[in-house]
Amino acid sequence: MPPDVSVRDLVKHYVVPERTGGLRASFRSVIRRKHRLVRAVDGISFEVDRGEVVGFLGPNGAGKTTALKVLSGLLHPTDGQVDVLGFTPWDRRAEYLSRITLIMGQRQQLFWDLPAADSFLVNKAVFGIDDAVYARTVDLLTELLDLGDLLTKPVRQLSLGERMKVELAAGLLHRPRVLFLDEPTIGLDVTMQQRIREFVTAYNAETGATVLLTSHYMADVKALARRVIVIDQGKLLYDGALDGLVRRYAPHKTITVHLEREADLPDLNGQAEVLSVDGLQITIRAGKDDAPEVTGRLLTQLPIADLSVEDPPLEEVIDQVFRGEGP
Amino acid sequence: MRVLRIVSAFLRAAILKETAYRAELVGNLFRSVIGIGVAIGGLAVVFSHTSELSGWRLEQAMVLLGVYYLVQGIVQTALSPSLNEVVSEVRKGTFDYVLLKPVPSLLLSSTRRFVVWHLADVMLGGAIIAIGLIRLEAQITFGVAAVFVGVMVGGVAIVFSIWLALTTLVFWFVRVENITMIFQLFFDTGRYPVEIYPFWLRQLLTFVFPVAFITTVPAQTITGREPLVAIWLAPLIGALALLAASRFWRIGLSRYTSASS
Repeated sequence: MPPDVSVRDLVKHYVVPERTGGLRASFRSVIRRKHRLVRAVDGISFEVDRGEVVGFLGPNGAGKTTALKVLSGLLHPTDGQVDVLGFTPWDRRAEYLSRITLIMGQRQQLFWDLPAADSFLVNKAVFGIDDAVYARTVDLLTELLDLGDLLTKPVRQLSLGERMKVELAAGLLHRPRVLFLDEPTIGLDVTMQQRIREFVTAYNAETGATVLLTSHYMADVKALARRVIVIDQGKLLYDGALDGLVRRYAPHKTITVHLEREADLPDLNGQAEVLSVDGLQITIRAGKDDAPEVTGRLLTQLPIADLSVEDPPLEEVIDQVFRGEGP
Repeated sequence: MRVLRIVSAFLRAAILKETAYRAELVGNLFRSVIGIGVAIGGLAVVFSHTSELSGWRLEQAMVLLGVYYLVQGIVQTALSPSLNEVVSEVRKGTFDYVLLKPVPSLLLSSTRRFVVWHLADVMLGGAIIAIGLIRLEAQITFGVAAVFVGVMVGGVAIVFSIWLALTTLVFWFVRVENITMIFQLFFDTGRYPVEIYPFWLRQLLTFVFPVAFITTVPAQTITGREPLVAIWLAPLIGALALLAASRFWRIGLSRYTSASS
């Protein structure tokens, strides 16, 4: 089976007007504009198989959203080939658009003054959704997203989280096979983020849809994607399993010990570094290869109540990737 | 069929939305009635000093005013709300959702919003045309009525095309609210027959910014006045304008999809 999404050497450059601050510079730019080339996406390639959930990671301006917009047909690339479900996205064929969805956490499509149910009916007409299929889909989404009576309240009366839930439902009414989710949990509280994540997992399991999502929140990526694609400055830095990313970019382990009583630390031979001492809890960072030896020494020379060895938090790993540290 | 279903879904949503604001409905009806009343009063004042204005009698000028309100009502009910929405959506970035729908973007962009209470202008305009024609004791045959409708359709097509072209500029300049104000300025000249304007302005309003085809020509055809230009020009220019405007839209759109972020 061919992959659902196939991207080859994708390049997207923008020319943007450049403006320095100050009134004089502003006046000058009205007459004569300087332009600057932004390499939003600079030659990336990857494939995504049917039913996969893939997380796009990268700092702000890394090119994640641009990539999603090319994939969903909103932007013409500068160069490269993209094939999604056998279509070239930017041809924007009706057959293609009715098989995909792009949901943007920061941009709403529902009528503000009307209950979401009324906006849904518009989408039903626009996508030409059959009555029976529509009823089944709304039932499914109501159950998975726990929509309850949210559909009958004017959208402006909903909380941010509730609005995101109905926005998600609106974007899925036509049962797309490929979902592009751009920051679907942005600005939501932790509980609601959790709900949205559970929904995406359940929807993926229920429908077998392929999902590509971007997020700022590591928790999203950890919970949803077994595979991550890391982009920075338009280039692909890593494509593979999430734990592989940690292994590759985190050369350290964090060792946390709880002591039974106060004691002096043994000599660590420069193999490890004490990060913090907080009463009886000590946090130590050791190189990956040195960790077993350091752990052994700690266990034999200290009155230990509890000891744990962990990979550093994903945030730290990603941070390291973007700063160009690590191997 | 599909198109009809889509438009009626939008229309339904628009009616629901408008009826949620009843106070606005009443207020705007009131404004329409006053506006048209003042305009007729103005005509009455002018014609109390003269029996003819560049060859137009009071009743004929009334018919023309009725045509003006009829077109204005159609524009404000069905055309400008949708196109104004495009302007604000491009700025907010939600225009992306229009492009994600499996329907031609021009269809969605021009039929998404309706402000139904502007239909009051359409009805009042129709009423003024009827009163004018009755006072003229005009004999309206089926043929004349058909020609009138054809010319009107051409006029509305011209208005729509101009408005669409101005809206399309949003893909280059992002803020174009002021440009549509220019349109309203020219359109307002359509309250009076183009013959009353000086030669150069008359030429401008006939051939460059064809307001003449929107009100003067339809009013001429139905009141039996000698037409300013060949009548068949109205639907022809309307069709050409639509063609040009939709091509321009496609150019603007390709700019949007290759340059936005």
